[in-house]
Amino acid sequence: MTAPLEVVGRSVERSDAVGHVTGRTRFAADRAFPGMLHLKMVRSPLHHARVRGIDLSEAERVPGFVRALTAADVPHNRYTILSLIGVEPEEEFVLAEDRVRFKGEAIVAIVAETEEAAMEAVAKVRLDLDELPAVFDVEEALKPGAPIVTHWGNNTFMYEGHPCRRVRLGDVEAAFARADHIVEGVYNSSPIEHAPLETTGCIAVPEGGRFTVYTNTQALYFSLDNTSIILQVPGNRLHFIGGTVGGGFGGKVDVIVEPIATLAAMKTGRPVRFVYSRSEEMQVSSTRSAWRIYLKDGVTADGRIIARKVTSYADSGAYSRQTPYALTKHAANAAGPYAIPNVSIDAYCVYTNRQPTSAMRGFGVTMASFALEVQMDRIAETVGLDPWSIRFLNAYRNGDMKPHRKLADDATLIETMQAAAALVGHELTAEQQAMTSAPRAGGDPGGR
Amino acid sequence: MTVQAYLLPRSLPEALGQLAQHGLDVLVMAGGTVAMPLINDGISLPSVVMGLRLAGLDGVERANGRLRIGATTTLTQLLQQNAVPVLREAARNTASWSIRNMGTVGGNLFTPPPGGDVAVALLALDASVTLSSSRSARVVSLADFYTGFMTNELAPDELLAELWVPISNEPTAFLKYGRKHANTPAVVTVAARVTWDGPTVADARIALGAAGPHPIRARDAERLLVGTDLGTDAIAAASAAAARECEPFTDAIATEWYRRRMVGLFVGRALQQLAPGAATEDR
Amino acid sequence: MASTIVTFELGGREVEVLVRPMTTLQSVLRNQLGQTATKDGCRQGGCGSCTVLVDGEPMASCLLPIEDVAGRRVTTLESLTPAEGLHPVQQAFVDEYAFQCGYCTPGMVMLSKALLDHDPAPNDEAIGQALAGNLCRCTGYRPIVDAIRHASGAMSGHDTEPVR
Repeated sequence: MTAPLEVVGRSVERSDAVGHVTGRTRFAADRAFPGMLHLKMVRSPLHHARVRGIDLSEAERVPGFVRALTAADVPHNRYTILSLIGVEPEEEFVLAEDRVRFKGEAIVAIVAETEEAAMEAVAKVRLDLDELPAVFDVEEALKPGAPIVTHWGNNTFMYEGHPCRRVRLGDVEAAFARADHIVEGVYNSSPIEHAPLETTGCIAVPEGGRFTVYTNTQALYFSLDNTSIILQVPGNRLHFIGGTVGGGFGGKVDVIVEPIATLAAMKTGRPVRFVYSRSEEMQVSSTRSAWRIYLKDGVTADGRIIARKVTSYADSGAYSRQTPYALTKHAANAAGPYAIPNVSIDAYCVYTNRQPTSAMRGFGVTMASFALEVQMDRIAETVGLDPWSIRFLNAYRNGDMKPHRKLADDATLIETMQAAAALVGHELTAEQQAMTSAPRAGGDPGGR
Repeated sequence: MTVQAYLLPRSLPEALGQLAQHGLDVLVMAGGTVAMPLINDGISLPSVVMGLRLAGLDGVERANGRLRIGATTTLTQLLQQNAVPVLREAARNTASWSIRNMGTVGGNLFTPPPGGDVAVALLALDASVTLSSSRSARVVSLADFYTGFMTNELAPDELLAELWVPISNEPTAFLKYGRKHANTPAVVTVAARVTWDGPTVADARIALGAAGPHPIRARDAERLLVGTDLGTDAIAAASAAAARECEPFTDAIATEWYRRRMVGLFVGRALQQLAPGAATEDR
Repeated sequence: MASTIVTFELGGREVEVLVRPMTTLQSVLRNQLGQTATKDGCRQGGCGSCTVLVDGEPMASCLLPIEDVAGRRVTTLESLTPAEGLHPVQQAFVDEYAFQCGYCTPGMVMLSKALLDHDPAPNDEAIGQALAGNLCRCTGYRPIVDAIRHASGAMSGHDTEPVR
């Protein structure tokens, strides 16, 4: 009836395998072009400061110096990566204007004949900065009188006029009032750097009115479209070549190196290479956000969770990049894979004077899962159930209404736990073994 | 400024002559594992660098009951000697294979904490160093060599030419605690050695890494051990003293608070390895 | 700034390069000789992606001034790769899927080659110790350890099947 499967169920040699083991795979920075220049960035040594002046006179005298670029050279200097999908306002600066908001923020791009000359010129740029008070904690940033990080508002990203992404289902306060136990917890995480082995970088090459950009971005069209906006050139003048990424993990979706390298190629008429040093990758490129999550659960004596209140803060750092989206994903997942009839979620994307944060594998969801599953164990302890039972008891089923008003139609928690129990040799009760994610007899248990 | 000249002397006298000529303007480099990262990143911008890799200063040999270790002996070479086993243990616990093939024993003394694990073992072994200049050479005990964070006894025209380690039969314990099992900066490094007078401790050496501005001795703890049988109480008292007197710091690896507690814990574990009856324990 | 000429052996051939003082071996390989298999992950000796063999010993080419290599024998991944087919270590990496993004792979292959030259049948502890300076962010290392064990078997003339 059908041809035998050629690929499914078999080990197939990867098309890039021989390239990888022989080193013939070409990563972006493996290329070189005649006359190629090197770009290095002058960065803020302070977390928050007013930029009063930039003195390039000594840097310009370094042998091999070609030119410097400042904010005034960038056609559309203020941008937001997600403006492509309607996120506002434009808030990040390709090169700093009157203020720097995090330590490491780009201020002046130096273009030189060699990397060494570029580094030497960078060291000779004199910055006149007035240090401003800085804020590093998400809750401190929300207090009255906190230093304001954004140029356009307060220290939170705004979701349709609200300072947080909100989810409401039922009435949590009423449910808390009738709960037998209240279980509260606060969960913190640190920023995490993706640390790809290949640092972020690109080479922009002028080619007869067009610019070919070899980049290791994970998001080629994000990079191309934002570069088009920032440089105010039509997309058909930009030819981006990518697809070979030496580790990304979400860390290479920000549009950071391509616009300025392409601008430098435009201004000099020569190929320009801009590749992060390891220090820049660690200290300047986005990280996973640090999170603080407060959970308050109302639980019946037999272990049913009847109310969950979540207040979450993601530290976005100085600019939001992809973090507003993380909070939206977070809010959709913060109640966990459980059927809870009363839920209230406030998820804040908070600006601080730390390194900006962005995408990283499951961002917004992974920290929610950590907090929730530790919380589930604590609930189990409180009511005297084992960690398996508390989860089977509260597991969501197909047909249940999730807090963000989506009907569950792909629930697999019960089946996954049954499979996990078999793998680790944990004996489930007969009732647990018989359970399925099939819709409940009486439909959605809302109001239970 | 980009490097204008890289000097590669072929002998110690040649190196000392070039040093006398260039003085403080020259950056001296042995294995390059500390200096090169700074130069590569533009953090250090020396105009003249002197590399010692070809100056013939490497080599390990026994001489009059002591081990003479040339300053540019690599950590891999140190791993291959048998006279002082604890130095093998210290080298094995330092950096990675490639870096041990490059990094030198002399250079390890100039590695800022939390690096410099071999130096911790050398301090516990009462090592001394020969500081040579084109004028003279002098021998300084390692305990007197360090004067502060990244500062030492070396005069501008001097080079550290060789190290001297007394060879003794007393076992020396070496423990490094890091966040990974290998190739990791220290949370804390401990080297300890005791000299016995019959059943009692006649003298003790406890050296700590990542617990001060440079490898340091825990002298209060050492004193508390003298005259004891290195029993449980003596070890507990010495561990507590070491935790009190050390000067740890907070960095990306560990906090000052945590390091201080780990100093107490690992000094205790090191001393337990030296206590009577501990010989059967897995080291 | 005086440039100097440095001569060394690369993959069995003598090469001569004109360099500014203290140019690293990594830079000479990548930027002057076009041998970009040697990678550039940190320039701090911390990641292992630039590992090459100097007189058969693994070293971080990002920390080696080219002058220090004068007269010595340098082996890169380009020189390890046979004219046809693959070296047994390379083949083992292919068979065990011992990479995802591939950026650490050249350094891993060079280090593995050096390890098997020193210790033809390393146990997991020896492999772990040897690999400690070569970082991989994708695989979790297990398939790399498998590849080294597989290559060890293949090079000693038995067990040429993949470990898994």
